[in-house]
Amino acid sequence: MFQFLQRKQEPDKFGPDPDQLSIRQLLDDSSVPISIKAVLNLPEHARQRLLRVLLPPHLLARFQIKPMTWRGPDGDEHVRVVMRPESGLLRVEARHAGGAQDAFYSVELQDNALNGIDLNLLVLNDPMAPRFDTDFDEDGRQTQFGTLRRNLKEEERAMAAGLAPGQVRSGLQASRDVFQNLETFLAMMAHYSVFLEPLTYASAWVFERRGFAYVRGHKLMDDIQREFQDGGRLRKALDGSTPFRRPEQWRTVRGRAWAVHDGILAEMDQTWDGLRMVKQIGQHAGANTFPDAVY
Amino acid sequence: MINSYRMTRAAELGSLAHFRDFVEEVCNAQGIDEDTAYDLKLAVDEACTNVVQHGYAGMNPGSIMLDMTVSEGEVEVRLTDFGHPFEPSSAPKPDITLPLEERSMGGFGLFFIYETMDAVDYVSGEEGNTLILRKRFEE
Repeated sequence: MFQFLQRKQEPDKFGPDPDQLSIRQLLDDSSVPISIKAVLNLPEHARQRLLRVLLPPHLLARFQIKPMTWRGPDGDEHVRVVMRPESGLLRVEARHAGGAQDAFYSVELQDNALNGIDLNLLVLNDPMAPRFDTDFDEDGRQTQFGTLRRNLKEEERAMAAGLAPGQVRSGLQASRDVFQNLETFLAMMAHYSVFLEPLTYASAWVFERRGFAYVRGHKLMDDIQREFQDGGRLRKALDGSTPFRRPEQWRTVRGRAWAVHDGILAEMDQTWDGLRMVKQIGQHAGANTFPDAVY
Repeated sequence: MINSYRMTRAAELGSLAHFRDFVEEVCNAQGIDEDTAYDLKLAVDEACTNVVQHGYAGMNPGSIMLDMTVSEGEVEVRLTDFGHPFEPSSAPKPDITLPLEERSMGGFGLFFIYETMDAVDYVSGEEGNTLILRKRFEE
């Protein structure tokens, strides 16, 4: 070990602060990272040119939405852009029909404290699939994807239908396309990485498959894998005591995810929080904490 | 011809043996001599131990990515982590002229790396913290 190691007190910022970026800088040097805040401050049409990259044309075409105008055959707008320039937050949502309750695609990006970019949210829902109201409890209050409170009845139905925690409908099987476009967008913005905090065990596993490594929590994922093996603490806790802890659930990503969502990590004196992942643009990290996994 | 290999594992002491085995497998596959392979294994071991003990201190450890690229008589090893950045060049070299009983404990890992590698570099940024080790070998 290095006895005389000197850790930096403060990590370096990845790029200039958004308020210090001028158009002149951007024109001069294409390697200067552009913040979300800077994108949001662009004139509307320039901004829309950039944001088109966040919406894979194949995905829009599945719902007959034109990639240039974001309008459907009825002429209605199907894409909504939510902007909060003061906090550097951008959300793009696409709906298959104007009045649809849920977006079939939603992506939220935000500047982080180091002037990098966080992927706060990525949702891909099949709007034609049955809906499970796991996002509201029985009193109609939002569950925040089951993190604040839970709707156990709906969660049990969702699990039986093959959904993972946090999902209200089955997915669109389009995350590969979405990530390719997201990486293209970030490369255009001269960013080398994107960061996120996985909501569930299942989403962490999916992000591993998409090439993410761990800033925090790789060891926790390894510990979970070990403790779900024969004789492990999590395996023993799959005792049927709740509908989300059935003995066979260790076998699959979704089964484990529901058990973790149900608080099974308490058996290891752990909770599902604090994980953070990173994707280097154009690179696949190759992390694999559940070898030979069945989803 | 350039051959590249990558292994990503958690930054914990239990991963060290996997990283050593990986370095050995790559060296064997590429026909790299035993002495070079030995130096590389020890250097990777020291560097990974450092990341485990200091880089991810105070947090649930993240990943270490080990990349090896072999080309024209040179091996390049890149160790990337996402923990606290540091500056290995800021560490003073241990005084090996002192008698054994007067030498301080530790500090030899970095010294060993600098002594056995042909080049050592370190970069820190949006892509993480990367220690780059280069060593030439007889083809």
